[in-house]
Amino acid sequence: MNTPIGLDPASMSERIQAEVQRAIQRSIKGVEYIASAAPSLGSTPKDVLHTRGTMNLYHYRPIADEIYRVPVLIVMATTNRGYILDMVPGQSFIEFLLKRGYDVYMLDWTPPKPEEKCLRLEDYVLDFIPDCIRRVQQDSGESDVTLIGYCFGGVLALLYGSIFPDGPMKNLICFTTPIDFHEMKLFRNFSDRRYFDVDRLVDSIGNVPPEMILSSFEMLRPASRTVSQVQLWENIWNDEYVRSYRMFDRWATDTLPLAGEYFRAITKDLMWDNKLFNGTMSVGGRPADISKIRVPILHAVAEHDHIVPYDAAKHLIAKVGSADKEEVMLKGGHVSLVAGANAIKRLWPKLDSWLGGRSI
Amino acid sequence: MADKGNDPVAIWQAMIGEMEKGFNSFANQAMASPEFSKVVNQVGGATVSAQKQFGELMEKYLVSMNLPSRAQMVGMAERLQSIEGQLDEIKAMLGQMQRASGGADSGSAGAPRPPRTRRPPSSGKEQK
Repeated sequence: MNTPIGLDPASMSERIQAEVQRAIQRSIKGVEYIASAAPSLGSTPKDVLHTRGTMNLYHYRPIADEIYRVPVLIVMATTNRGYILDMVPGQSFIEFLLKRGYDVYMLDWTPPKPEEKCLRLEDYVLDFIPDCIRRVQQDSGESDVTLIGYCFGGVLALLYGSIFPDGPMKNLICFTTPIDFHEMKLFRNFSDRRYFDVDRLVDSIGNVPPEMILSSFEMLRPASRTVSQVQLWENIWNDEYVRSYRMFDRWATDTLPLAGEYFRAITKDLMWDNKLFNGTMSVGGRPADISKIRVPILHAVAEHDHIVPYDAAKHLIAKVGSADKEEVMLKGGHVSLVAGANAIKRLWPKLDSWLGGRSI
Repeated sequence: MADKGNDPVAIWQAMIGEMEKGFNSFANQAMASPEFSKVVNQVGGATVSAQKQFGELMEKYLVSMNLPSRAQMVGMAERLQSIEGQLDEIKAMLGQMQRASGGADSGSAGAPRPPRTRRPPSSGKEQK
């Protein structure tokens, strides 16, 4: 016999029992959650090759018996920490690359100090990236280097590649990289030049604080943080869910400040004038036209990316001058494209199949 | 077990999901307006001014307490960083010298590095 809403009483009883058990588990695990430390992330063995201010160059220790000739340098977004690509064993993009035989380096960032507020876009594109590439060449003994850029790291890699089209960059891989900043509609509205005085902000406080960066990301989906906390409470009996939640939450809230002058240039040149898209971008007085890029390029975009919408990223492949170019759209969002269960199934194998033949 | 259509927990979760989507969509529409940008930036501007004045006040307070100045601390940090940088250079040079003298190809950790002879699986060798 079914109840008026169509439920079988026996199954209802089982369901209620399960929910009572979960309620008890929630209380126990809830206390554990509050008392325990955040998970340890980014633990794949690595050596620090060089640090200079905000810039850090890591080399991950190879684990394959034989590696590809061309080393890989990952350029991380300047707003976030690189350990999103190295969460925990079994869920680490870095570990995946190492197991597949790549020699992996990463250009990662620490918070710029107050006195680094004068770092400009050209310091990142014309100094930090070339310096790291030189050190990768020196350390690996190889002249060619593949660059992988995540989000704004992809923009930096594109700018570098368009200023130095003759090498040593051999391949370029971009993850969710915007080039049409006028299509990042909410960010554009937040920084509307009629109301947003970027000069006053930078001149007053120097580096842009991480809270401001984090708020602007969270404002894109204002209900999601509260809902994710409700979902955490519902699933707190589930160790796997809690582990994953804590990893991603720790990373998402570990936002970096941005150097003041760098932020000023991004706001004016990219957000306001959309120069990268228009082909009028220059860095340190040097034209940075992405049509000059001729190396093989792969651009991976996410179907449900709310930070870099597809409209902001879709023209990249059409605008680069490479003959060997490919865009791949995968299910997922801005973060789940590169990390987590979806990435393991989708992006990482795709990247390996694309890059292997181009790394010999 | 009850099917998903009748499961109160599943119904609750679906409802939360729909509420989230609805609220995000509504908020995104509101935030896309020029009025929103104007208000947010006015409030933000006032906060920045207050933050700047507070910072200046703190600086004066620290000086009056005879604590090391910010410039002195930065100077020390820069010297340490420069020493670290020189150590990195020395390590890299030692690695190069070791390689040049015919020793094992060693990485920055001193461990031997694997040969750079890997081929993708399709070109004849099996993926490891």
